[in-house]
Amino acid sequence: MSFIEKIGYFAISLAKSFTDIFFFAGIILRRMLRRKTYSSAMRTVLVNQIYFTSVQILPVFLVVSIIFGSLLIGIVFQLLKGLGLTEFFGNVLMGLIVTELSPFFTVLLITLRSGSAINTEIAVMKVNGEIKTLETFRIDVIDYLLVPRVINGVASLVLLSSLFSVVLMFSGILFSNIIFGIGIDAYTNILLNSANFSDIVIALLKCAIFGFFATVIPIRSGLSASNELTSIPIAVSGGMVNVFTAIMIIEVLSLITKLF
Amino acid sequence: MTHNVQAATVSVDLPLISNQEVWMNISLIKQYHENMPLAQAHDIAIAALQRLGLEHIAFKRNPSLNNEERFGVMLLRAVMVRDAIVIIDRPFKIIPHLNKINFFLDTLKKIEDFYINCHIYDYKWMEERYGELCP
Repeated sequence: MSFIEKIGYFAISLAKSFTDIFFFAGIILRRMLRRKTYSSAMRTVLVNQIYFTSVQILPVFLVVSIIFGSLLIGIVFQLLKGLGLTEFFGNVLMGLIVTELSPFFTVLLITLRSGSAINTEIAVMKVNGEIKTLETFRIDVIDYLLVPRVINGVASLVLLSSLFSVVLMFSGILFSNIIFGIGIDAYTNILLNSANFSDIVIALLKCAIFGFFATVIPIRSGLSASNELTSIPIAVSGGMVNVFTAIMIIEVLSLITKLF
Repeated sequence: MTHNVQAATVSVDLPLISNQEVWMNISLIKQYHENMPLAQAHDIAIAALQRLGLEHIAFKRNPSLNNEERFGVMLLRAVMVRDAIVIIDRPFKIIPHLNKINFFLDTLKKIEDFYINCHIYDYKWMEERYGELCP
C-alpha cells in the first residue's frame, strides 16, 4: 500500500467511524425524546446509573475538587497579582476556570471512571449473550440498557461540573481574601459583574454534549465487540481513544464559538 | 381483554443478566412488558422465588448460583412473560449432572399456574433421560 493509499484508507475509515457514531447518536437522541422509552424498568436502571456515576463518586470528586480547585485558584490569583491584573480576576475566574476548566476536568474524571466501565460492561454483556437474552425476551436494548446510561452521562456531567464550579468559587473567597485582601461582599459583587449569561449557557451545553458523547461512544464501542472474549480489550481501548478524541474536538469547537 | 400467547425460552444460551440480582432478573419482565412499578414487580419476584423455595438467593447474582438455582431463576423469568408458553431448550445442558427429568418436572409442577403450556426440546440421543415422557 502506497503512502497516498494509506492516507486515503485512513480518511475513509475516519469518515466511516464519524458517520457511524453520529448515526448511532441520532438513534439514541430520538429515543431519549420518546415518552414510551421511560418505562418502569428503564427508570430503575436510570436511578441505579445515577447512583453509580454521580453519587458514589461524590466523596472522591469533592476531595479532588477542593485540592485541585484551591491550588489552581491560588496559583491563578497569585499570577494575576504578579502581573498587576488584579481587577481582572473575576473575568478569569468566570470566563476561564468556571466555564472552561470545570467541564473539562469533570468529563475527564467521568470518562476515566464511568466511560471505561460502561464500555467494558456492554462488551461483556455482548460476549456473554446477555444482549441476545434481552432481545429474546422482547426487551428493547436501546430503551432499557443504553438510553438510561446516556441520560445519566448528561445529567452527571452537568451536575458534577456545576459542583466543581461551586467548589472553585468557594475556594476563591478564601484566596481572594488572602492574596488580594478582598471581603466576601466585594468578591461576590466582582463575580456577579463578571458572569456572562451566554458563557454559562455555553458551558452547560458543553457539559451536556460532553456527557452525551462520553457515554454514547463507549456504548457503541462495547456493542462492536464480537462473541469472543479477546474482543473485549480491543473494544474498550478503541472506545476510550475515540472518547478522548471526541472530548478534544468538542473542546476545540466550544473555544471557536467563544471566539466569535 | 385478550392477550397473545408468547413464547418464553429457558436456555443455556440465554443467560441471566449478570450485573443484576436474581429478583431483578425476574421482575424485569413485568416491569418492562407491563410497565409495573418496581415495588410491585419486586414482590411478585420474591413470591415466585418462594414457590420454588429459592427466596434465599433473591439478592445473589448469576455467578454465585448453582445449576439448580440458575435453572429455577431462568424458569421464573420465563413464566413472568404474560400468557407464556415456556420452551425449555436442552434442560440437561443447564444442569448437566442430572440423569433423570424428574427435577425439571417437579419444578414445573410447583409453578404450573404461572404458564399456559410447556415444551421441552432436546436431542434424540438424550431420550433415555426422559423416561416415560419419551415412549
